[in-house]
Amino acid sequence: MTHHIEELKKLAISKLNLNSIGIIIFLLFLLIAIAAGIISPYNPWQRFEPYTRPNSSHFLGTNDMGNDILSELLFGARVSLIVGFGASIIATILGVTVGIVSGYYRGMMDEILMAITDIYLMIPRIPLIIILAALMRPNFWLIMLLIGFLWWPTTARVVRSSTMQIRDTSFILSAKSLGFSDKHIILSEILPNINHVIIPKFMLTIASAMFSEASISFLGLGDPTMKSWGMMLNFAFMKGGLINEMWWWYLPPGLCIVAVVFSLMLIGFSLEEKENIMLGLE
Amino acid sequence: MLLISVIVDCVSKSYSSGLFSKRYDKILSDISLEITKRKTVGLIGPSGVGKTTLAKIIMGLENPTSGKILIDGTDIWNAPSEERDTSLKKIKMVFQDSQGSLNPKKTIKQSLYDTVNLMGLDASTRESLVLELLDRVGLSSDIFCRYPHQISGGQNQRVALARILLVKPEYVILDEPTSALDIAVQAQILELLNNLQKENNFGYLLISHNIPLIDFMSDEIVVLDKGSIIFRGETKEFTEFNSLKNKNSFKV
Repeated sequence: MTHHIEELKKLAISKLNLNSIGIIIFLLFLLIAIAAGIISPYNPWQRFEPYTRPNSSHFLGTNDMGNDILSELLFGARVSLIVGFGASIIATILGVTVGIVSGYYRGMMDEILMAITDIYLMIPRIPLIIILAALMRPNFWLIMLLIGFLWWPTTARVVRSSTMQIRDTSFILSAKSLGFSDKHIILSEILPNINHVIIPKFMLTIASAMFSEASISFLGLGDPTMKSWGMMLNFAFMKGGLINEMWWWYLPPGLCIVAVVFSLMLIGFSLEEKENIMLGLE
Repeated sequence: MLLISVIVDCVSKSYSSGLFSKRYDKILSDISLEITKRKTVGLIGPSGVGKTTLAKIIMGLENPTSGKILIDGTDIWNAPSEERDTSLKKIKMVFQDSQGSLNPKKTIKQSLYDTVNLMGLDASTRESLVLELLDRVGLSSDIFCRYPHQISGGQNQRVALARILLVKPEYVILDEPTSALDIAVQAQILELLNNLQKENNFGYLLISHNIPLIDFMSDEIVVLDKGSIIFRGETKEFTEFNSLKNKNSFKV
C-alpha cells in the first residue's frame, strides 16, 4: 500500500513538472502578447521589400506585402490570445451557469437545459462557423463570439455532473436547512467546491478556441484586418509561401499555435490529473 | 394535539423509477409522531429504513408522497411560501457526518459568520454572539482560522451545534449526532445536547440505531422497521418491548 502511494506521489511530481513547463511556455507567450509593441522591431503593417529571406534587419524575412514577419508574429500573439481568452470566458460563463442551474435544481429545468446542451453538442461547429463567417462579413469579434457561444456544452456537462455530486452532501443540505438562499448556496458553497473542474476546462477551452480561430482564418474566413497566426498561415499558403518553400513564413505561426495549445493542454490536463491523484490518495 | 409542536401526520414516501413503466418503492408508510418542546423523541431502526428520509421530509428538504407536516400548526407543504419559510426557521438539523456538514473550502470563522449574517444583526452584535455561542459549545476562537478537516470530529460537531444555535431554532433534529465520534467524546456531546435542551427548551428528534443512546436520551421512543412504525411509547415501555422482541430475534 505504501509502495502504491509512493508511486502515486512520484507520478504527481512528474505531472506537476509538466504543469510548470506548461505555465512557463504560456506565460512567455502572454508576455509577448502584452509587450508586442515594445519588443517587436517594426510595425507589422510597415512595408519593406517583399519576399526577402531572413537577414540581419528582418530575422524572419518579409512576406508578399513586404511586412516584417517577426513583427507580425509578435503582434499575432495578441490577436490569437484575445480570441482564445474571450471565447473561453464566454463559453465558461455560459457552461458554468447552465451546468450549475441544471445540476442544482434538477427536474424539468435540468431536462430542458440538457436537451438544449445535447442539441448544441450535435452541431458540427467548424462547418457552422464557416457558413456563418461566409454569410456575414468576417469580423474578429464575431468569430470570438461565435466560438464562445458554440463551445460551452462540454463545460456545462462537466459542471452539471460535479454539481450533482455535491448537491446531496451534508454541507449543502445543512446550508439549505439553515435557511441559506439558493443564490448563496450556488455562489458560496457549490462554486468554490467545483473550481478544480472549471479551471482546467477553461484552459482547455482557450486552446480549443485558439485552434478553431486558426483553422477558420487559415480557410480565409478570418478577419483580414487582424493579423492572427491563422491569418498569417492563410497568407503564406495563398501567396505562394509554401510552394516556394519559404519556411520562415509558414513555419513560425504554425509552431506558435502548436506551442500555445500544447502549453494550455499541459496545464489543463495536469490540473485534472492532480485533482484525480489527490482524490486517489485520500 | 398541541399547537406548539411539530406533528408528523400519516407521512408516506415512495420513490418512482422508470419513465414509462412506473415502479414505486415505498420507503415510509403512515408515519405519525410528535415533537414537543423540552422533550426528546428517539427514532430508532435498522439502517436504510428511512430515518434520514423522514428527517429530510420534516425539514422541508424532500416532499412527502402523502401526509402532512405541521410546525406549530402550519402545514409546511400546503402553506404559502412566506409562512412556510417562517415555520421552517423553527426547525434545524444536525447531520450525521459532522465534518461533511461544513463547507471544506471555508474556515470555521467563515462558516460561522455566514450563518450569523442570515440573522441580519449589526457587526458588533454578530461578533459577540459568535464568540458567546462558541464558548457555550466549549470551543475557543483558536479554531477560527482552521478548515473542517483540520479539527477533530467532536470539534466539528460542536461547530455544527454552534451554527444551529446562531439561528435560534425551537426544534432540532439530531441525525446520529455521535455515531462518528469515540466514546469519551460521545458522552461530552450528549451532555452538551442535554444542557442546551434545558437552556433553550429545545424539542429534539434524536435519530439513531444505537439502543442504549436512545434509551438514555429519550422521553418517547418510536421504532421504525421496513418503513412503518412498529412501536411508539415511553422509554419504560420500550425496554419491555425490546426484551420481548429480542426473544423473537428482532435486531435493531
